[in-house]
Amino acid sequence: MTQSNFNVKDGQVTSSIFDAEQALDNASQAQFDADKFARYALIGDAMRSQQNQAPCIDITARMADALADEVTYGEQAPQQEPQKVRQEDNVVALSNWRKPLAQVAIAASVSLVAVLGVSNYAPQEQANGDFPVLQSTPVTGSVSPVSLSSEPALESAEKGLRELQQQRIGALVLEHQRQSRMAHALTQQAQEEQEEQKK
Amino acid sequence: MKWLALLLGVGLSAQVVASDIINAKQLLTDMSSAIQERNFDASFVVVKGKGMEPYRWLHGKVDDSELEILSRQNGAGLEVVRVDNKVTYFEPQTQPYSIETDAIAGPIPEILFGEIGNLSNSYDFVLGGKERIADRAAQLVRLVSKDEHKYNYWLWIDIQSALLLKAAYVTQQGEVLEQLQLTHISVTEQPAQPLIELSSKDFPMPLASLAETENTQKLQNNWRIGWLPEGFKLLKSDRHKLDLNNELADYFLFSDGLVEFSVFVQRPLSGQRASGALSSGATTVYVHNSGAFDVSVVGKIPTMTAKAIAESVTRPL
Repeated sequence: MTQSNFNVKDGQVTSSIFDAEQALDNASQAQFDADKFARYALIGDAMRSQQNQAPCIDITARMADALADEVTYGEQAPQQEPQKVRQEDNVVALSNWRKPLAQVAIAASVSLVAVLGVSNYAPQEQANGDFPVLQSTPVTGSVSPVSLSSEPALESAEKGLRELQQQRIGALVLEHQRQSRMAHALTQQAQEEQEEQKK
Repeated sequence: MKWLALLLGVGLSAQVVASDIINAKQLLTDMSSAIQERNFDASFVVVKGKGMEPYRWLHGKVDDSELEILSRQNGAGLEVVRVDNKVTYFEPQTQPYSIETDAIAGPIPEILFGEIGNLSNSYDFVLGGKERIADRAAQLVRLVSKDEHKYNYWLWIDIQSALLLKAAYVTQQGEVLEQLQLTHISVTEQPAQPLIELSSKDFPMPLASLAETENTQKLQNNWRIGWLPEGFKLLKSDRHKLDLNNELADYFLFSDGLVEFSVFVQRPLSGQRASGALSSGATTVYVHNSGAFDVSVVGKIPTMTAKAIAESVTRPL
């Protein structure tokens, strides 16, 4: 009973000893895990910020072990096992081919999100915002600078069209303003004519 | 208790209105005659969104003739002079010209100087609250459009002198689009000096006929405008060249007494362009590209109204 029970509650025993809930006697000491105790002590100290030194975890030995097991690249494989070498070659080639593709795919998806994000934002803004504000007094007869620009023909044509449209809108606003000045007079004229017809 | 107070309040205010016999239409009529009778020197600003235009407005009577000067104080400027029934417009880049009419077409709708009753077909006159405007007690009168295709027009009238102190174009949702606010007004016994000088000056002859001038032709059913908001009447239709870019346009002018809008039908500009609207204050410009021709609607009407008018224009069958 004793052995198995202690094994199950191994961590619990260490913890309770550490918390001074259980006396450190022979029976408990048998279950005592020195490593764990050191770790708990370290955690406790760190939490209470009593530790002046940063906890130092030495992993050099394990790294050295891991490196020792690592396959060395660039080394000529022994020629005695041609079959095996070919297999390994295949694996390397495949992963080499996949890697850039995966990177491209990730980049593409990121840019797609960016594009989607932007195009999602733009119409929303248009829907929420007001219509573009018009210049109330159209600029008349202003001279725009002419230059021998190297700008592509299509682009400059588009720009020209935009200017043409702006100019037209300016002309329309001005004409409306002029014409509506006569509106009152015209209304009166129409009324007078109506009255005359009645007579 | 709150309910009771509210009820009492409503009852009291209704009684006050009834006992004062303040009638919205009467107030407007008083205003109209005050503007025509008094000698005053006023300054006001017109605020359109972020833009602002200051004006000076002088009015007076000298030897039985009515004189008025309205001038824009910023930028290229505009000066309008009225001597009785002759209104002359002075603008940069164009020859001054005169129109035979009894009111200046400026930021204040001309109807407010005349027969306000003519508006009752399209608008309801509603009395609002009292407010302090330009350091004077003012009464709010609202011209409420009878349908949703037009803007409402609110006026604040000086209780003492019945002069206009503030006016605004307001959407059906209650949003103020464009306002006119007097910043100063002085009502005097004698007319201001610039007005007295006016009577000794000469102005160009009024344009011979309003409907037909040079380079214009009467338009005969060239286009059919399928839909118009209620209350608007055709005042003028012709074909003429636009001043600014010399482009030919078939032109229609409509008015409901308070606001006007223009419909232009033109040769389309090359290239694919989407239909769209621009607005400045209460003025909307809607350009509709219908393929074979372009229709543009300009006026102080809501964008949706302008769009509906522009899209209803068709060639007659």
